[in-house]
Amino acid sequence: MPVALITGSSRGLGRELALELAGRGWSLVLDARGCEALSATEADLRGRLGRGAQLVAVAGDVTDGAHREALVAAAERMGGLDLLVNNASTLGATPLPPLERYPLEVLREALEVNLIAPLAMAQAALPLLRRSPDPRIVNISSDASVEAYEGWGGYGASKAALDQLGKVLHVEEPAIRVWSIDPGDMQTQMHQDAFPGEDISDRPLPAFSARLIAGFLESDSRSGRYRVDDLALAR
Amino acid sequence: MTTTALQRPRRVNASLRFELPPALEASSPPEARGLTRDAVRMMVARRHDSSLVHGTFSEFPQYLEEGDLVVVNTSGTLAAELAVEDRDGRSLVVHLSTQLPADLWTVELRQGTAPYFGAQAGDRFALGAGGTLALLAPYAQHPEGVRLWVAALSLPGPLFAYLSAHGRPIRYGYVHGEWSIAMYQNVYATEPGSAEMPSAGRPFTPEILTRLVARGVGVAPVLLHTGVASLEAAEVPYPEYFRVSAQSAHKINDTRRDGGRVIAIGTTVVRALETVVDERGGLSPGRGWTDTVITPDRTVRSVDGLLTGWHEPEASHLAMLEAIAGPALVERSYAAAVAEQYLWHEFGDVHLVLP
Repeated sequence: MPVALITGSSRGLGRELALELAGRGWSLVLDARGCEALSATEADLRGRLGRGAQLVAVAGDVTDGAHREALVAAAERMGGLDLLVNNASTLGATPLPPLERYPLEVLREALEVNLIAPLAMAQAALPLLRRSPDPRIVNISSDASVEAYEGWGGYGASKAALDQLGKVLHVEEPAIRVWSIDPGDMQTQMHQDAFPGEDISDRPLPAFSARLIAGFLESDSRSGRYRVDDLALAR
Repeated sequence: MTTTALQRPRRVNASLRFELPPALEASSPPEARGLTRDAVRMMVARRHDSSLVHGTFSEFPQYLEEGDLVVVNTSGTLAAELAVEDRDGRSLVVHLSTQLPADLWTVELRQGTAPYFGAQAGDRFALGAGGTLALLAPYAQHPEGVRLWVAALSLPGPLFAYLSAHGRPIRYGYVHGEWSIAMYQNVYATEPGSAEMPSAGRPFTPEILTRLVARGVGVAPVLLHTGVASLEAAEVPYPEYFRVSAQSAHKINDTRRDGGRVIAIGTTVVRALETVVDERGGLSPGRGWTDTVITPDRTVRSVDGLLTGWHEPEASHLAMLEAIAGPALVERSYAAAVAEQYLWHEFGDVHLVLP
């Protein structure tokens, strides 16, 4: 029974990915700061678990070391860890400001959540991942990490740095497949926050990206950076 | 509703059965484990969707909303254990359990970590500094002898000063080391009188209370002086002294009328409030002795949620928990608590049950 740890899994893409993996028989460790949403997700997921699969939801902040240890300890009690999904992210300053007046304190906080915490999660999880027959790490990225969009400098920089961490991590830990996945635009709270007041109902639902990602990470695809549009074709 | 303090206990069972691994017994305060009070773990169980979420108590204010009310037991813990010797010079301790009128107490004699059954009515014990304890009548029987006695306590000075000087906190075998009475006090304790700490409130800190106030969550005090908790399996709690003020009763009634939730901090709060609740959930002020016992076949009307510790197998508190949370959710919670290695007892982790 493979075990996945997904950060930021109470809503949006993280939640949909948890639902997808539950349907595929995975045991899951969930994480979120928002306790209400995490409770609801835990209740939703419980009925969809495969036979013998386990589920533990741990509330907390990924920037808190004790919380990260609690997440990894929960996975260890399930028997180990096969997949870490670094999904929890923050947009940083909203509405998205130009770099000229990007608040530096907010940028530091964004880097803490989007860059430092994923590395710290990987560091905490490495001992368990190395024991897995097929260890995998997914870092959820963004097209803002490679394209230059006005206002997206802070968020994009954090995701570009995360992509690079993933590339180096795979070189240092060749037994672990490390992917950066750009899930594309989605109807999520984060996307709505990036475009306040705009109608985003033309974007795909996060369930679409989640299904493609879940199928992809059960494939034998090599480490690297992928866009969600590529995933259906990836082999 | 209320009764005399001398009423005999009945027996009651919770449906839950489980094994408590010794490793899950908290043997020292969180402060001695390098944690702040509010850093103990907290499992949140919700009735409406049966969800379980693991976290830490420092997140407690997040779970409450403006208009909710937290009800705390402001009883303080006594240094209720005194050293005595039996006729043959063996070292015993006496645990002062509940203060009755006229300087009478219910007391328990213990030797090491076990109850002591070698005493008889009429036995007198020297307590040090001229204090004496005389056993007058059996209070609660046990297959091996008398477990609790009604005893006359005679002290050379005021009770609290005497206990401060000569007593120490009641301690059971799972606690390693002696800890000061401050470790056994809740931050909001105002009136000493409990034999054992009402420990669900132990994780509260001034900062947590401030955050609750800033969220618009109310806090209402009630009082219930706890007796000794060393009951046998499925033994019903003894009558205990309680007080619910008119102001607190009104606050609870107003909270529920306005759609807020009433969250009890500890089973002692539930016992006090269920003593003064009517059939429609309305509370009246009251004080006196309560023999109210919450069993799963009783509807709990006075509270919507409960913060509590982790209870031993077959403890009567589990029956109360089943009445509030339902047997299935209690069973899931306890299975998860054992699997996730929560810590039991007064220095351990907590369990928050919400609607």
